[in-house]
Amino acid sequence: VRFLAQVAIGLLLVSCARAPVGARDARWFGSVAPPRHDVLRFNNGAEPETIDPGLMSGEPDGRIARILFEGLTVADPQTLEPRPGQAYRWEASADGLTYTFHLRPGLAWSDGSRLTAGDFVYAWRRVVDPKSGSRSAGMLDPLANAEAINQGQTADVTRLGVRAADDSTLVVTLARPTAYFLFLTGHYTLLPVPRRAIERWGATWTAPGHLVVNGPFTLVRHVLDDRIETARNERYWDAANVRLDGIVAYAIDDLSTSTNLYKAGELDWNPSGEIPSPWIPYLRGYADYRSGEYQATYFLSVNTTRPPFGDVHVRRALDLAIDRDAIANDLLKRTRRPWGRIAPSGYPGYDPPPEVRFDPDSARRELARAGFPGGRGFPRFTLLLNTSEDHRRICEAVQAMWRRELHVPVELQNQEFASYMDATTHLRYDVARRSWIGDYLDPATFLEPLRSGDGNNRTGWSDPRYDELLASAANEVERTKRMAMLREAERRALDAAVFLPIYHYRTHELVKPYVRGLYHTALDVHTLTRVWLDRDWRQHEPLAAEERRR
Amino acid sequence: VTFLLRRLLLFVPTLWAILTLSFLLVHAARGGPFQSEKEIPASARAQLVRTYGLDRPLLEQYGRFMANTVRGDLGPSYKYPQRQVRDLVSEGFRVSAELGGLALLLALLVGIPLGTLAATRHGRFGDHAAMAFALAGVAIPNFVLGPVLVLVFSLGLYWLPPALWNGPASRVLPVLTLAAAYVAYVARLTRAGMLEVLGQDFIRTARAKGLSERVVIGRHALRLALLPVLSYLGPAAAGIVTGSVAVETVFAVPGLGRQLVHAAFDRDYTLVLGVVLFYAVALMVLNLAVDLLHARLDPRVELR
Repeated sequence: VRFLAQVAIGLLLVSCARAPVGARDARWFGSVAPPRHDVLRFNNGAEPETIDPGLMSGEPDGRIARILFEGLTVADPQTLEPRPGQAYRWEASADGLTYTFHLRPGLAWSDGSRLTAGDFVYAWRRVVDPKSGSRSAGMLDPLANAEAINQGQTADVTRLGVRAADDSTLVVTLARPTAYFLFLTGHYTLLPVPRRAIERWGATWTAPGHLVVNGPFTLVRHVLDDRIETARNERYWDAANVRLDGIVAYAIDDLSTSTNLYKAGELDWNPSGEIPSPWIPYLRGYADYRSGEYQATYFLSVNTTRPPFGDVHVRRALDLAIDRDAIANDLLKRTRRPWGRIAPSGYPGYDPPPEVRFDPDSARRELARAGFPGGRGFPRFTLLLNTSEDHRRICEAVQAMWRRELHVPVELQNQEFASYMDATTHLRYDVARRSWIGDYLDPATFLEPLRSGDGNNRTGWSDPRYDELLASAANEVERTKRMAMLREAERRALDAAVFLPIYHYRTHELVKPYVRGLYHTALDVHTLTRVWLDRDWRQHEPLAAEERRR
Repeated sequence: VTFLLRRLLLFVPTLWAILTLSFLLVHAARGGPFQSEKEIPASARAQLVRTYGLDRPLLEQYGRFMANTVRGDLGPSYKYPQRQVRDLVSEGFRVSAELGGLALLLALLVGIPLGTLAATRHGRFGDHAAMAFALAGVAIPNFVLGPVLVLVFSLGLYWLPPALWNGPASRVLPVLTLAAAYVAYVARLTRAGMLEVLGQDFIRTARAKGLSERVVIGRHALRLALLPVLSYLGPAAAGIVTGSVAVETVFAVPGLGRQLVHAAFDRDYTLVLGVVLFYAVALMVLNLAVDLLHARLDPRVELR
C-alpha cells in the first residue's frame, strides 16, 4: 500500500512539474499548441436532433446548419447585423411589406448543380407545409399566408408570400412590416435546401454522402452522440476566403469532460454553456476565458389559474421579495447579472421600463392587501424546477427569501426535464423556474410568449391591452413608435408580475489564443466562415487581444 | 442439445416480460417525446403524433410494437427521426463491445495472475499487496477513478487524451477505469479458488509424483480454481455493460450506455426499447455461453 501511495504521489508531483515544451503558459488554461491541421474543433454540447435546416429547432442543430448552409443574409460575426450572403443586395418597399433579393451570379450547390431563387421558394414552402411537421414553422409567420397554410386553413402552399421572379431574383411579400425581417433571412429555418436530394433520398437526405449543401463546409462524417466532421466546400461562392480546411463539432454532454478536453488541447473552443458553473470564478483569471452579455433571461413563471396566484397582489408580493443581487452576485459569484425586466438589455433604440427591485416592505404590504397579512393563512405551494444543481441552488435561495420576508409556506419540487415540461405546459404547477433565449435582436422575441394563448405563455395570464400593443407594434413601420409600444407592453407585463425576473445570462466561453475571427455575440450565435487558426499567434498578441475584448 | 433448446425456448417468455414491462414503464413516465422549452406548433405536433401512431390506444401501440419487434424492425428513433433504431443500436454496440471486451480481457489477464500469485504466497507480503490492490479496485467507483486518471495522465502529464473515441491512445483510460473493479474481483476469486484447490489430495498426489510447481499450479490447480471466475463472467459482463454508462459519459464514448440514458431522458420510446431489448438478449446469451463453458471445464457439471 505504501508503495502504491508513493507511486501516486510521485505521479502527481511529476504531473505538476512536467508538460510538453512550449505548450503551457500560466496565462492560458492548458495547452496552447495549435492543432496539426487547419481544422477547428469545438464542443457542440448535445447531439443535434436533425441537420435538416427547415425542420430543426434549437441551438446545437443551428450551429451545424450555419456551417453547412448559407441564407440570403449572413449574420455579421461581431454585431450580428445582416450582411450579404447568397443575396448580394436587396430592396424593401416603402411600406415595409415587399422585399426583393438579388442572388449572386453563379451560385452552386455542393453537387455542382445551380442554386436558384426557386430553391428558396421550395425550402420555405416546405417549412410552412403542415405535412413536413416543422417545429420552427413559426419563424415564417411574418410572410403573407404563412400562418393560414401552417394551420391548415388553406392547403395551397403556393399562396405563401414568396416567389421567384427569375432564377436570381426572389420576391417576398410580408403579412405585416416586420422590423427584424432581415435578421430572419439569416436564421436556420429560412436556409435553402436542395430539392433534388430531398426528393431522391427522403428522410435520409441529411446522411453523409447524400447531403448537398450551399455553405462554406460540406458534411464528411456523422457519428451519433460523438461528432460531425466537415470539410471545406470548394463550390461555395467565397471559398477563396475560407481559411479552415474543416470544422469538427463534438457532442459531449458532460461539462467537465468538455472543459478537460479544452485544457488538454483537444478542443480549440469550448462554447458558452459547456463549462461547469462552479469552475467559472476560477477560470476568470485566464486570458483565454471570455464573457459577455447574452440575450437570455431567467425568471419564475406564476400559474395564474391556481388560487391564490390569480391575485395580482400575491404575485407582486412574491416578485418584490426576491433579492436579485444576492442571487446573481453572491450565490452565483457574478456569473450572471441581476435583472428586473422581461426583455434583456442592449436593444438599439429600446428604452426599457423601470426594473422590479427588491423591496420587502412593499412586498409585505402587497401580501396584506391580498388578504394574507404576515403570510397568515397563505396556502402551502410549490416552486417547480427541473433537476439541475444550479436551479436547485437558485430556487432554494428564492424559497428562503419568501419564507423570511413573507412567511409563506413554499416547498421545492424537482422533476427531470420531460416531466417538468409536461407540468408547465399543462399548467399543473404553482410557480416554476424558466428561462428564455432570444431568437433575433429585438425585444419582441421576449414579449411574444406572454400573448394570450401563446403556446409559450404557460401562465394562463391574458391581457387584451397587452395583445393589442404587440399587434400594433408588429404593424408599425416607424421605429420609435414601435419601440414605445413594446416598452408599454413590457411595463404592463412587469406590473402584472406573471414572469418574475431574476437574472440576465452572460456567456462564458474558452477560446484558444490561436483561434482568430471568432467573437462574442449577444445571441451567442457564431458565423464560423472566416475563422482561422493563427500559427504565429504569439507574434500577433495585441491584435488577438483586441479580438477577444468586448 | 435438449438443454440448449430448452434454454432458448425460455428466452421467449423472459424477453416478452422484459419488453412488456419496459413498454409500460416508458409510457407511464410523465411527458412525451415531443417536448421542448419552445412550444411546438400544433400542426407539427399533430403530424408527429400521427406519424408515430401515438394517437392510437395504448393497447394498439403495444400490439404494433410487439409485431415490429418480432419482425426485428423497431422503426425510426423519435428524437432522431432520420435514423433507424436498428442502426443506432448496432453503431452504439460496436463501440460498447470494444470498450467492454477490452475491459473484460484486461480483467482476466491481470486478475488471474494476480490471484494466483496471492494464493501461492499465501499470508506473505505478495498476498497482502495483491489483495490491497484488489480491495482498492473494488472500493473506488469508476466515476471517481475515471476523473482521477484523467487528472493525472491527461491534464497533468499530457500523456493520454482525457476523452473521446479517437484511435488507440483514447482507449487506454476508459478501459482501465472500467476494468479496475473486475481485475479486483477476478483476483480475489482466483485466489480463493486456488487456495481451496491447493489443499486437495490430487494436488498432493501431483506434487508427490515430482511434478514441478509450475505444472502443478498451471496445469492442474488453475483449471479447477478458475471455475468460480468462470461463473462470475456472466454477472461481470452484465456489470461491465451497465457500468459502462458512467465510463462512457466521463470519457464521451459514443456507446450504448450513453444512448440508453439519453433516450430515457428524451422519452425516445423506440430507442429505449431497442436498447433494452438488445441488452436483454445479450445478457441471456452470455449467461448461456457461461453455462456451456462451465460444463466443458468441470466434469462434475451436467447440463440438464
